[in-house]
Amino acid sequence: MSEIEPMSVWAVPSRPLVIPAPTTWFELGPGDRILVGAGEPVTAGLSLAERRRDPRLEVGPPTLADPGDAAAGLSPGDWWAGDGHESGAVLRRRRPRTAPGEVLMAEAGRWQVVSGEHTELLEAPAAGIVREVVPGRGIGISLAGYGVPGAFAAGGPTRGRLELVTGEAGLRGSLDVGRAGAILVVGGRLDSETISRARAMGVRGIVVPGLAGKDLRDLVASEARQRASLQALAPFAVLVLDGTFRRPIATPLLVLFERLDGREVGIVSDPPLLVVDPPLDRPGVAPDWVRIRHGELAGREGRWRGSVGRRRFPAGVQLEAGTVELDDGGIVIVPIPDLERFS
Amino acid sequence: MTSDPRALFTLDLGSATSAVAVLGRINRRWRLVVAEAAPAGSDPDDILASLVARLVEVDAGLAAELGLGPSSFAATPRLVARTTESPRLAILATSERERAAVERLAGTAGWRANGLSLEASEPVALARLALERDVAAVILAAGESPALDPKPAVAALATLGAALSGRDPTRPLVLAGLLRTETGRFATDADGAPPPYGPAATAGDPPGAGLRRLLDAIHPGSGDGRHALVRATTDLATVLDRRVELVEIGLTGGLRVLAAPDGLEASPAFVEVAALAPPGEPDDGLVDGVLAWSSIPLDRHRMRDRLRELRLTPWGEAHGAGAVVRHAAARAALERLVAATPDISGLPAPDLIVVAGGAWAVAPGPAIALALADVVRRPGASQLAWDHARLLGPIGMIDDQVERRALLAELAEDLLVPLGTVVTPAGLRAGKSAGRLVIHGESGSSEIDLVPGGLQLVDLPPGQLGIAEFRFRDQVNLGSRARHARIEVGGGLGGLLVDLRDVPLRLPDRLDRRRALLGAWQAALWPGLDV
Repeated sequence: MSEIEPMSVWAVPSRPLVIPAPTTWFELGPGDRILVGAGEPVTAGLSLAERRRDPRLEVGPPTLADPGDAAAGLSPGDWWAGDGHESGAVLRRRRPRTAPGEVLMAEAGRWQVVSGEHTELLEAPAAGIVREVVPGRGIGISLAGYGVPGAFAAGGPTRGRLELVTGEAGLRGSLDVGRAGAILVVGGRLDSETISRARAMGVRGIVVPGLAGKDLRDLVASEARQRASLQALAPFAVLVLDGTFRRPIATPLLVLFERLDGREVGIVSDPPLLVVDPPLDRPGVAPDWVRIRHGELAGREGRWRGSVGRRRFPAGVQLEAGTVELDDGGIVIVPIPDLERFS
Repeated sequence: MTSDPRALFTLDLGSATSAVAVLGRINRRWRLVVAEAAPAGSDPDDILASLVARLVEVDAGLAAELGLGPSSFAATPRLVARTTESPRLAILATSERERAAVERLAGTAGWRANGLSLEASEPVALARLALERDVAAVILAAGESPALDPKPAVAALATLGAALSGRDPTRPLVLAGLLRTETGRFATDADGAPPPYGPAATAGDPPGAGLRRLLDAIHPGSGDGRHALVRATTDLATVLDRRVELVEIGLTGGLRVLAAPDGLEASPAFVEVAALAPPGEPDDGLVDGVLAWSSIPLDRHRMRDRLRELRLTPWGEAHGAGAVVRHAAARAALERLVAATPDISGLPAPDLIVVAGGAWAVAPGPAIALALADVVRRPGASQLAWDHARLLGPIGMIDDQVERRALLAELAEDLLVPLGTVVTPAGLRAGKSAGRLVIHGESGSSEIDLVPGGLQLVDLPPGQLGIAEFRFRDQVNLGSRARHARIEVGGGLGGLLVDLRDVPLRLPDRLDRRRALLGAWQAALWPGLDV
């Protein structure tokens, strides 16, 4: 077995198979109500915040409130519970009720609060500890478990039980309500139609090795349309493991997903991760295992056989290269930046 | 650099590429000994160690003379320049006019600028933008005229801005234009000073100069590699006693700077939209811009996917069709850089144009010369050179100007790879011939016919000098109007490029014809291009 280090001036790019205890960020905006505090432990499914889908500015309580009044001591960024029945405070009939919301600014002697009618719950996709809470900006959480990094993600956060589906045809053929609540790991590349169908069936998320930009744009546009219509939305996310081109799922990842089959997992988008609570049976990866990520052989895997120095490739470009023994026994010379390995 | 080292490492660590070099003091002069560029992510120490090992293997005597070896590796001094993504600036404006003006200004001052105005958006949207996590600074902008920016609008923006700044006092805040009349609403700093304020983006001569100084003052990356390139270019112009322009294209942004021996001729432009592959989803304009320079047929969707991949893995598929796409993306980025800097384009052609940045890391030198000739077009003649070992950034990190200039002067022969000379006459009349060109070189003279609309190449190797004697049928613009001109030209990897194409370049609208034309020009200057 060849050593993978040192191989040449250039190193084979490596990516982590899993990240222990990743920190994730959940973006919020003004008017979103935060339900957790920094340092608080959270479990999967716990409500983190209420997001306003139709945030608007409303007149709040006076800025110069009587001592002891609920509005006394308010400042921008604080949550105003409102002075209707829902606040639990004494209802004052001398002035009109004001809606609950986040205090944004003071104007003409009144606080302006960001309020709205339609809310949706933001739930923790996995267990962890709240590290940072910034009203109007977001929540940072250190997860207790592990994250499987992807290239990018759309939507989310979401959670569900992981189910492995092989191939695009396999997903189309097996899409039914029985998949509701699942996060599907699908080999190959998907189109936006299949993703929409999956979502309509109650699927909570899809993990796919490649997603074309066109399909990503369709997905984002569909999400925006549904949000604008203020329909009730179930959480949904797509995690893309590699990029925009069609490639099979890397074998070490596939082995990991097989071990996670049936387990509760989540998808977060900042950073793009599939998250899972402990314990995790992490598969081992041979030290000389490499995968070809770009070029005509993209997706093929093999064993590193050694550096061959600088070589000339099509278009006259000279790059550091290495020899790879493919899984079918063939030997190829590949530019080192076109390779990847898992760390 | 205060001691007397015999060897020196330079490291230019960009977002996509790590370039390292070993400099050695040979015969009492600093010389470039060996250099290498590799994808970012490789440990720079590993790259340096490999370079030193190669040097020891190839020339053990020189390595010993320079004191280079495994034991001295850690003690060898280093010059390190780092370039990262531009910081983000949130622009909250009273009107769309002011928002657009500040966005234009910030877009050449090294910021990723996003703006909203009270004229077009709700205060909640403005607040959301200003509160976003990656925003490094906020500017509240109004114009200078109460007629265009009435008092209520200015007061409303100040009220919102004051509330937002109170939530995050550590985030720099700048007031522009009439907002300065509202400083009383804002909290003061520890010294009792209000937030910094300046003129509107549309005020001053040139417009925005005052606000640009404020934006520069709060920029968190003034010590980064791009700012170092500005210092190095200014000093290079002094050392060479020539007008020098530098154009740099990197993964996260571009830089254009023009310096004369006595200093900068215009404000340096740090242009985020001139990134090789800007962050986020590539929009139609970006994709079409790259397609316009591509010599291989790709539809919009595929090109968009290619650009996303280029952003994700900048060194992936850097050969074959990937190299062509990467070069097209570099030319499109250069075009965006030029479009964002009309004040520099309006200046006379410099004596020397230096190209820098990771976008060119694997491109052949002649193809880089062609890209420059295609995009940076002014009437006149300029020598072209390439900062191939990426030394300018690290040298620009030296604090002492005297030391910087001394090092540049000693390294002048190794610093830049000559790409050639481009001569671009403008105002040619259509016809079979525009005149004759006689090249007087070291090996004799040769004569060629000048065909309007063409790109004519004259082989002139690096290191050779010649006199190009032009005799045009009519007066042309070569910086000044003339029929006859004698120009000293220097050789390079691309030789002498006599560029008789239009200024600015006009290409066929039909993509297939355009591709064929681009492919023909490229094939002449890109050895081994077979895709």
